[in-house]
Amino acid sequence: MAAITVENLVKTYTTYKRGSGFLETLKSFVKRNPVTVRAVDDISFKIEKGVICGILGPNGAGKSTTIKMLCGALFPSGGKIDVMGYYPAKDRIKYVRKIGAVFGQRSQLIWDIPPIDSFAMNKAIYAIKDSDYKKRLDELTELFDVAEVIHKPTRVLSLGERMKCEFIMAMLHSPDIVFLDEPTIGLDVIAKTKIREVVGKMNQNGTTFILTTHDLEDVEQLADHVIIINHGKKVFDDTLPHLKSTLGNKKIVKLTLSKPYIGETINGANIIQRESELDISLEVDVEKQGINDFLNDLSNFVDFTDISIKELPMDMIITRIYNA
Amino acid sequence: MKYIKMYLACAHTAFSRAAAYRADFLLGSIITLLSNILFPLVTVLIYTNGATFPGWTMWEVLLIQSVYSMSTGAAAMFFYSVVWVTMEHIREGSFETVLLKPVSPLFFIASSNFDPQYGGLFLGGLVLTIVSSAHTNISGLSGILQFILLFTAGLAVMSGLYLVMAAITFKWVGNARIPEIFDSIITFGKYPAGIFPRGIRVLSTLIVPVSVIGYFPASALLGRLEPMAYISLIPCLLFLAFGIWIYNRMIKLYEGVGG
Amino acid sequence: MHKLEELKAVAFATYKEWSVYRTHSMVSMFVGPIYFIVQYYIWTAVYGGADTLAQMELSQTIRYFGATVLIGYLTMDFADWNLQMLVRTGKFLTFTLRPMHHRFFALSQKVGHRILGFFFEFLPCLLIFTLVFRVDIIPEHLGWTAISVVLAFLMNFYINYCIGMTAFYLTQANGIRVVYQLLAQVFSGALIPLNFFPPAMQYVMMFLPFQYTNYITAMIWTGGDNIGGINLSVPQAVLCQGIAVIAAYLLSEVIYRISMKRFTAVGA
Repeated sequence: MAAITVENLVKTYTTYKRGSGFLETLKSFVKRNPVTVRAVDDISFKIEKGVICGILGPNGAGKSTTIKMLCGALFPSGGKIDVMGYYPAKDRIKYVRKIGAVFGQRSQLIWDIPPIDSFAMNKAIYAIKDSDYKKRLDELTELFDVAEVIHKPTRVLSLGERMKCEFIMAMLHSPDIVFLDEPTIGLDVIAKTKIREVVGKMNQNGTTFILTTHDLEDVEQLADHVIIINHGKKVFDDTLPHLKSTLGNKKIVKLTLSKPYIGETINGANIIQRESELDISLEVDVEKQGINDFLNDLSNFVDFTDISIKELPMDMIITRIYNA
Repeated sequence: MKYIKMYLACAHTAFSRAAAYRADFLLGSIITLLSNILFPLVTVLIYTNGATFPGWTMWEVLLIQSVYSMSTGAAAMFFYSVVWVTMEHIREGSFETVLLKPVSPLFFIASSNFDPQYGGLFLGGLVLTIVSSAHTNISGLSGILQFILLFTAGLAVMSGLYLVMAAITFKWVGNARIPEIFDSIITFGKYPAGIFPRGIRVLSTLIVPVSVIGYFPASALLGRLEPMAYISLIPCLLFLAFGIWIYNRMIKLYEGVGG
Repeated sequence: MHKLEELKAVAFATYKEWSVYRTHSMVSMFVGPIYFIVQYYIWTAVYGGADTLAQMELSQTIRYFGATVLIGYLTMDFADWNLQMLVRTGKFLTFTLRPMHHRFFALSQKVGHRILGFFFEFLPCLLIFTLVFRVDIIPEHLGWTAISVVLAFLMNFYINYCIGMTAFYLTQANGIRVVYQLLAQVFSGALIPLNFFPPAMQYVMMFLPFQYTNYITAMIWTGGDNIGGINLSVPQAVLCQGIAVIAAYLLSEVIYRISMKRFTAVGA
């Protein structure tokens, strides 16, 4: 069953061009040139209930605008959105009761007071029953291991501690869908792992997560479904395994050569990177040439002292899709 | 009932924040106290140099100004920070965090940013009102009742003005001087209206009824209320309604209704 | 020469930054004249038929309020608020990483702002006062007035900067700033010409910074010889102002050096 259905979504807005010289600036005081931007250009997709869906795209691609429309903070210029039966922007107050959001770069905690006080405020606003609140709070603080942290003012917390509290704040009212916008940005490895662990756990309990991120490890570790948006259009919409194989079945073979090699290809594989005179990376299309055969013939072409074989890294896949 | 609970919960965070910076709160209260003393100072200086506002004693003019302080203090406690908080959200692009809460954005911002500091202004105005009243002839119960009515209307127009200010910040992004416009408009309510020409008096009574902030309630206490004052009750209510309406309308526009 | 280039670059960048908010300047075109109208009616009523009050004639008093408004547009700044904000948010750190004295940077910013102010606040209001209100607002002694305006420009800046630097010592220096602004409103002569204060107080105020940010300049502008309650003449008043500016500059320099030693940025 689809939790989110988006059909032919469009968002346009007008911005103004400003000059840069002294006279242009003076002129812009009196007259401005409008420019229409199509931030989201006819996007359609469905996200199933209980899934973790990653939405990727380069900066300025229209991701944030799409998320804002899904959260009900922005009205679409065209098209339809249905989330759990609601039209987010129109039914906003009823709708947002059912969702939570964590913005990596915008805090919802009140800065000068402890998170526990912000939680109490949310309790009143979302009308959470006392017993539910206590149960949920205990559950989440234990999961994130922040029992002492929540009593200190937000401004003295480290970024990792603060993000965990932001998560708790977003999930206290047991939302069905949680939007995560750059949730792990700036976090150390341990904090990231912790957050991913909790997201996975909550997902197992049935919460749907929509994740926008530039951290591809987040995507690899968490996402079932991946949507890629570029220039306001959808350029990919499928499962994670399909994403990995979208550029075909390729392997990266890294060699440390015995002597320098001048040439664009070795045994039919393109040299895609030269780290130094002797360290090169090859891209092998395994569909055209089985890895066994490739390796058997390789030593006929070059001598090497070291070799490693890897899958296409995610950032390479994504970059190629962004640039397509 | 539910809204009262919500309001108290949100206002509680505002109090906590004030308590977190006790020194600042104390200082803020001292500041508002000082401003209570400094504004009437001009009136005192005028009279000690041998001049007068024609037809008004010094204490009568001080009464106008103390009522004005009470009114601005009370309205500011509830609505002033709405202006700054809205402005900052728009400027930082973080208004979505407000739109994520399942309550009216205006309610949320106003309740969680209740500013107890202005209580000092209100209390100072109250004290000066009482002192000034002691030096003038207060016209008994009917005067006090009229005062209450007009004072409430003054709160309505002040609140409406704050909301209009806050609504403007959606368009005039980052314009920290918006409050100055309104400060200058409401100044007309600080003095006996008789000093202004007819055109201005009509404006300050019927169109943007700022005379209701200080001048009319004080006149009522002194038993010299102009009959015209009652007509200004309607624009006061209209202003408040307009303020609420336009603030919510600006939110809708921010969300992109109408393309 | 490098300093001049720095000044120009920062002033221009600031000028452009503020031009984006074009309506900001138009606020002044509304607020200034309104303020003046209010004062006009107050003082016309208050004078009644009297010739002079507190040694000032009605016409000078009215011109005085016009002058304070115009002087404000040429000399005001937010150096205090701005510096406090930078320290409070920790952004001041980025300035210690630049090869520029922050106070000089802030002064350059002010130059940029006030150039905008000159075109979009001062000139329009001057026109409104002269053509619409028909107030004779042209300064009596143009040369001395110009010098005094420059001194007031600097005075405002150095004192505001000192106030801003209290942020290095107090977490909520904002309170200090507001107190100062309140006191300045009254004692700078913006609300009432200082001649109305008791003579003893006027004498004390000679030693406070407030009157040098507006009152002195406004009195020179309106051509009185009854300045400061001790009947200073125009050149004498300018001299006093000059001394005050130097004192303010030295104070800001001393505090700046101590502050830089003490400065620790708020954690990232």
